[in-house]
Amino acid sequence: MMKLLIIEDDVAAAASLKRGLEESGYAVELAHDGECGLQQARDGDHDLWVIDVMLPKRDGLALLKVLRDEGRRAPALILSALGKVDDRVNGLRAGGDDYVVKPYAFVELLARIEALLRRARSLSGGPETVLQLADLKMDLLGRAVTRAGQEIDLQPREFDLLEYLMRHAGQVVTRTMLLENVWEYFFDPQTNVVDVHISRLRQKIDKSFSPPLLHTVRGTGYILRMEP
Amino acid sequence: MGGIWLSVLLLVPVGAGAAYWLARRRQQNLALLRRRLVAVTQSVRQTGDNIAHDLRTPLTRLRADVEAALRQEDGKVHRAALERVLDEIQGMQNIINALLALGQAEAGGMQVKKKTVDLTGLLMEMIELYAPSAEERQLTLKGRIEPNLTIEADRQLLARILSNLLDNELKYVPAGGLIMLSAAAKGDKLEILVEDNGPGIPVDMRDKIFERFARLDPSRTVSSGAGLGLSLVRAFARVLQGDARVAESSLGGAAFIVTLSTSAADVSRPAP
Ligand SMILES: Nc1ncnc2c1ncn2[C@@H]1O[C@H](COP(=O)(O)OP(=O)(O)OP(=O)(O)O)[C@@H](O)[C@H]1O
Ligand SMILES: [Mg+2]
Repeated sequence: MMKLLIIEDDVAAAASLKRGLEESGYAVELAHDGECGLQQARDGDHDLWVIDVMLPKRDGLALLKVLRDEGRRAPALILSALGKVDDRVNGLRAGGDDYVVKPYAFVELLARIEALLRRARSLSGGPETVLQLADLKMDLLGRAVTRAGQEIDLQPREFDLLEYLMRHAGQVVTRTMLLENVWEYFFDPQTNVVDVHISRLRQKIDKSFSPPLLHTVRGTGYILRMEP
Repeated sequence: MGGIWLSVLLLVPVGAGAAYWLARRRQQNLALLRRRLVAVTQSVRQTGDNIAHDLRTPLTRLRADVEAALRQEDGKVHRAALERVLDEIQGMQNIINALLALGQAEAGGMQVKKKTVDLTGLLMEMIELYAPSAEERQLTLKGRIEPNLTIEADRQLLARILSNLLDNELKYVPAGGLIMLSAAAKGDKLEILVEDNGPGIPVDMRDKIFERFARLDPSRTVSSGAGLGLSLVRAFARVLQGDARVAESSLGGAAFIVTLSTSAADVSRPAP
């Protein structure tokens, strides 16, 4: 079982986060201030840290910097209540791997945790040149996509979108994750822009094939997988 | 001996001049600081007022909804109420985030990541991002963008300006309409135009519409929007040392005009 450490001083928020993550199959440890958090992170063998920025005794970014300077490499997800334009950059500069602004949706946090854990696992392998799910194949070098041997013509952005979904196959990705990673926009437009791009992609990869691979997860985002 | 006196005599006026100059500089700095402080306090106070005032509407709805649901026993009713509550909370979050960003932008507290941005590319990207959604609403989104436009600015801020304007176009231009995004260099300035053949903005509302919470249709529901988008557009444009205004479009509807200087956004350098 994957083991997570949550360093968050809001006891109630930390408790419901812990409950949610346990329901999703993780073992969760809590720390409520920067000093305890640092000790627990050093002592424990966690697969991922969730770190709040504003913590008593030692702030989250300073804490993370210490851990990184000591050579500890667990993926770190930063939580911040500030949400200023430059916060994200500061968080990543301090050694964070992803950044979420409070108040966040639990499903958003969960999706990002899973993406980070997955990235950490796949980093060991070399860079892939071919991605495959069922009979859907992506040749990253030739930038060609086929399904059931039939060539599928994608726009450059559709290709990037599919590549991101393929790299996270079997895992929920949120609209915000897609905007950040495929378009590199770190804000959410009011218009449902992502949904429409997804439905166009779906037309191309799913419409005349079965089973459907690109599914909508209500209230959360999308998932690419074989099972409905 | 005489040499020393001579230099002292020379130095005294120089020293006095320097002291005077330093004092003046300090005074100017203090004045600048005070102006900033006043701006910050004003913005904080305004933000505070607005938050209190404008969260009361959704809060009232929230409260009524929760109380009504509590009077019932039905689990389905509870679930439906909770889902509406979550929507309201999201709306309130959006308002708070927008007000915080506005406060920060107006008080000069926004750090800008200045880089050379390929503006032509960014505008094409925005068209590509929004075109499918426009099409879905039976709107045509077209671009007329000068090639090779670049600007020293923050890509995220520019994108947020455009995104707010395009969000509006998709909301307020009726089906069948045309939206045009164009950009051109005008001397040492860049002009970005987002225009349409929709209902337009009446002359007497063209300034007002950029104020916080101003809407042509004053009713505010969960889905309608708060009336903060254009305030953000103007505040962000000003952070980038530019401005935003609205005029009548030759297409017949509204023309939102964002003017930026090509080397925009040097916020660290105080204005002369
Ligand atoms: N292209 C347009 N055509 C006609 N009216 C517009 C257009 N753009 C904006 N407006 C009017 O200006 C008002 C203010 O726009 P603004 O973007 O500030 O707020 P909003 O869209 O109502 O809410 P928010 O952007 O906060 O969700 C809108 O309510 C609408 O009445
Ligand atoms: Mg708007």
